Amino acid sequence: MKNTRISNFGFQILAVVLALVVTSLILIAAGANPLDAYKNIYAGSFGSFEKLSDVLVAWIPLLITVAGLLVTFSAGLWNIGVEGQIIMGGIATTWIVRLLQDTTTPPALTIALAILAGMIGGALWAALAGALKTFGGVNEIFGGLGLNFVATAATIWLIFGPWKRPGVASIAGTEAFNESVWLPTMGDTRLSLWALGLAIVSIMIVYFLLQGTYIGLRLKAVGKNPKAAYLLGVPTWQYSMMAFMLCGAFAGLAGAMQVMAVYHRLIGSISSGYGFLGLLVAMLVNYQVIWSVPVALFFAALNIGGIQLPIILKLDSSITGILQGTLVLFVLMMEGVRQRFMKRAGEKQ
Amino acid sequence: MISELFTTTVLIGILASGIRLATPYLYAAIGETFSQKSGVLNLGVEGQMLLGCFAAFYVALTTENLWLGLLAAMIVGAVMGLAMAFVTVNLHAQQGISGIGFYLFGLGMSDLLFQKLLGTVETVKGFPEIYIPGLSDIPGIGEIFFSQNILVYGAFLLVPIAWFVLNKTTLGLKIRSVGENPDAADSLGVSVARVRYFTIILGGTLSGLAGASLSIALLNVFQQNMTSGLGFIAVALVYFGAWKPAGVLAGALLFSMVNSLQLWIQVLGIPVPSDIAVMMPYVLTILVLVATVSKVRTPSALTKPFERED
Repeated sequence: MKNTRISNFGFQILAVVLALVVTSLILIAAGANPLDAYKNIYAGSFGSFEKLSDVLVAWIPLLITVAGLLVTFSAGLWNIGVEGQIIMGGIATTWIVRLLQDTTTPPALTIALAILAGMIGGALWAALAGALKTFGGVNEIFGGLGLNFVATAATIWLIFGPWKRPGVASIAGTEAFNESVWLPTMGDTRLSLWALGLAIVSIMIVYFLLQGTYIGLRLKAVGKNPKAAYLLGVPTWQYSMMAFMLCGAFAGLAGAMQVMAVYHRLIGSISSGYGFLGLLVAMLVNYQVIWSVPVALFFAALNIGGIQLPIILKLDSSITGILQGTLVLFVLMMEGVRQRFMKRAGEKQ
Repeated sequence: MISELFTTTVLIGILASGIRLATPYLYAAIGETFSQKSGVLNLGVEGQMLLGCFAAFYVALTTENLWLGLLAAMIVGAVMGLAMAFVTVNLHAQQGISGIGFYLFGLGMSDLLFQKLLGTVETVKGFPEIYIPGLSDIPGIGEIFFSQNILVYGAFLLVPIAWFVLNKTTLGLKIRSVGENPDAADSLGVSVARVRYFTIILGGTLSGLAGASLSIALLNVFQQNMTSGLGFIAVALVYFGAWKPAGVLAGALLFSMVNSLQLWIQVLGIPVPSDIAVMMPYVLTILVLVATVSKVRTPSALTKPFERED
């Protein structure tokens, strides 16, 4: 058992190395020095306290999303609709803030209600994907893709329609909220400790849910073998629905954090691709909740560090995408190679 | 003002550009139909399209030969397909995730190449319209259907060809059997791996072609992320079309017509509230999604890697 874990880890490292090699080759072909590029990514992410705080700002929604996705993954579900669930969380949060911010409601209560609304919004949107799957027989990948488009559309409609800024409406977003309902940030940074705390709590909840509870165990049973789980008396579809809604609630929380702590308004691209990135992270860590913490941090650092590149090396942050893409592909390939390897080793014995 | 929409000239214009705009959806979605029919979900279409867009544009710009551009896009798409096939067929990778990996790779790579090789937005002279003799002179009809460029004709011709191949040939039978019951197909001597390699590479080639149709036949420019979700819509269209080429055609036309209508409304400056115009294609998605729910059956082995029992 211990041996397999070590060889597991070895294959993962090999995948990272190969991804770096391929990306380096691409960089060399593009006429850039890969070492300079990686140095810049590092300096742009962990180089200073300010940069580090930016990385954490990106880490928060990613980690919360991954927490949710680990629940659906455990239940064997491909929640591609997570982008839309983040968006719906953002919309619901904005709605409550707009409703309450100019009333006599205490700001703290407004913030709490808005975040709660975001979670409910995300959960309901996820319930839709879940219902389409369990009752309509619509594969969650297709349902999710469709619902993502609808959620994007709803944002655009709100920004250009009912919630448009006085004067000229623009994709840049709605009117900023009153400052009294912004989540306080630390010093000059954009980092909110409240949001950071919520992210850490989220991943801890999922860790305990999946590792240490009866519900988590049954959820995994549904994921591994739904028929067997059903025959053993696990209410399969209820568990699927629950997984969807839990994931949606976390995704909605991520959206709420983007609205309340980062942008203080609803913007056109409120999910900023965190849903897709979250899917990658959740897959890479292969159900091991603890690992999602550093892996998500690494991806967030790549995203933030990549911003630095265009200025210095005249490379677009596109290199980040290439690195993330190849990384995922190599991890997948190594996983395939490892399984073949293990099978062969098993046959020999 | 709104009556302006209903003049003959405008209606013909809307229909003609609707037909034209269906082109990239058709290539990409028909390609995806083949791979899904064989049991492989390729979510990397968007990335393949973007690289195809760039390859076609760059080669066409530098060699001033549109056909070479087209060829380049197809080769790039095929190579991406080959890589996808290796990862999913040989290494049994999760199809959804490897697709997203290819999407990110294509997005980043086309962007990087654009920065390094072009730097600025340029234009090429795309494929010219071909007026079919006789037919293009028919009033209205001629302008809508028979005055398009070669890639548009190709896209519409692809639909009956795809139907024929899938339903009337041995190859089509093999593809369907591999997607429905790979174990049975395997026991009858059909190589599951070979069939899936074929469909995934075909899908990649057609996605590359879809990208080329955007950059050297319809818009004649290359911009970063110019497909903006079109590849994902193509994946969804396969579902809407119930894995049938004719269904895919209907879905693609519905989308492109509504898009065309929305563009014309903006061009004419008709005071339909802009939010409603922008929303139209999306609202349509919901309606179609609801309408098709539970009427279709997914290929049984879709997304499931095949492992031979020894």
